[in-house]
Amino acid sequence: MDKMINLQNLSKAFGETKVIRNISFTIEKGEVLSIIGPSGSGKSTMLRIITQLERADDGMLEVDGDTLFRSIDGKAVYDKENERKIGLKTGLVFQSFNLFPHFSVLRNVTEAQKAVLKRGKAEAEDKAMALLRKMGLEDKAKMYPYQLSGGQQQRVSIARALALDPKILFFDEPTSALDPELTREILHVIRGLAEEKMTMAVVTHEMHFAKAISDNAIFMDGGVIVEEGTSLFSDPKEERTRKFIASFENE
Amino acid sequence: MASLIMQMLEGTVTSLRIFFLTLLFSLPLGFVVAKGKMTTIRPIRWITDLYIQIMRGTPLILQLIFFYFAPFYIFGASYDRFTACIVAFVVNYSAYFAEIYRSGLQSIDRGQHEAAKVLGFTKPYTFFHIVLPQVIKKIMPALGNEVITLVKDTALAQTIGVAELFRVAQTASSRQFSTIPIFIAGLFYFVMNYIVSRLFAVAEKKLDYYR
Repeated sequence: MDKMINLQNLSKAFGETKVIRNISFTIEKGEVLSIIGPSGSGKSTMLRIITQLERADDGMLEVDGDTLFRSIDGKAVYDKENERKIGLKTGLVFQSFNLFPHFSVLRNVTEAQKAVLKRGKAEAEDKAMALLRKMGLEDKAKMYPYQLSGGQQQRVSIARALALDPKILFFDEPTSALDPELTREILHVIRGLAEEKMTMAVVTHEMHFAKAISDNAIFMDGGVIVEEGTSLFSDPKEERTRKFIASFENE
Repeated sequence: MASLIMQMLEGTVTSLRIFFLTLLFSLPLGFVVAKGKMTTIRPIRWITDLYIQIMRGTPLILQLIFFYFAPFYIFGASYDRFTACIVAFVVNYSAYFAEIYRSGLQSIDRGQHEAAKVLGFTKPYTFFHIVLPQVIKKIMPALGNEVITLVKDTALAQTIGVAELFRVAQTASSRQFSTIPIFIAGLFYFVMNYIVSRLFAVAEKKLDYYR
């Protein structure tokens, strides 16, 4: 199988605080990876490095065969030529949706298609309407984000990301700002994408969901990968993983 | 009476010229100053900060006198009083507008910039299509306040001998031994500001389609 993400020996510090220490993993095409772990374990920072919202300190990253940065003399050196190309291959769904409040739902989904991919108005709108239909929101196209529920807003933000045809979609705690009912809406959408073999990496605290959709899983704590593999949900090998998983069982 | 009104209309034209020229230059310049105050380059930030402190910390009337007389003492040459008046107003109002812009720019959630970055928008595109429209909506009330203040501040131009509305009214008033011209001027200012505040109300309503 081809690798969509090949991340090797990634390190990142904010000032003196090392948030990611020498992390490596790969994501195959069509695979769903879930990333779990306590707050402050470096999960979000890792996603933000792959989606270029943060810069790596050291390590190597290939996305769909293109190199974003490689390690030279203990420092991550970015390949400037590939930054934009890779940026277009990766999509990110935020915890706080981050929809553009001054744009209608439709325009939230068409704007980047037109401005970034230079698609025509008709093509962009057709694509947006198809995605909104898929998200069950076709009747909301003319509304503004503030008129929607959190779950609906998050579905618009997923449509917005999908509209650019990313090769891989990252989710940074996509349901953490939502109540249980709205959470189910979003999980249903992500599950649907998994069935279509969309390559995805999901940072989440929804253990049952993660277990159900994941082809692979990693548990992070203190900036390192403590354990890898879907067996960590049912049969964790490490003590730290066991404790973390158990804390959800007791709920 | 008719000639008094004519004189006062002439003064009003001068006041309006000060008003519009100040806005024309200080509205965009304020953005440059705001950027200067928000930059990570320290010397630029310090200088910008000092400039804003001085402009907000000293009376505009003093700044008018300074900008009119300073060139004479420094270079031995003086310039047209109307020009000096515009320079002083622009330099002063740029500082106030800068602070309004800064508060607006800082109130935009970081997530807006991040979403735009991840979607591949360029920095200029993000600024003009994502950030700026939201900033404008946020700063409308503060901007309205400042513009209304500017209408009234134009009366200070008389300090350096610019024959704006209030100066004309005062001159007429002492010539006629009557306060009537001054109250007429008051009415003129009120009408101008009524129009300004109506315009801002319309603009705010137009931007009311989202939250």
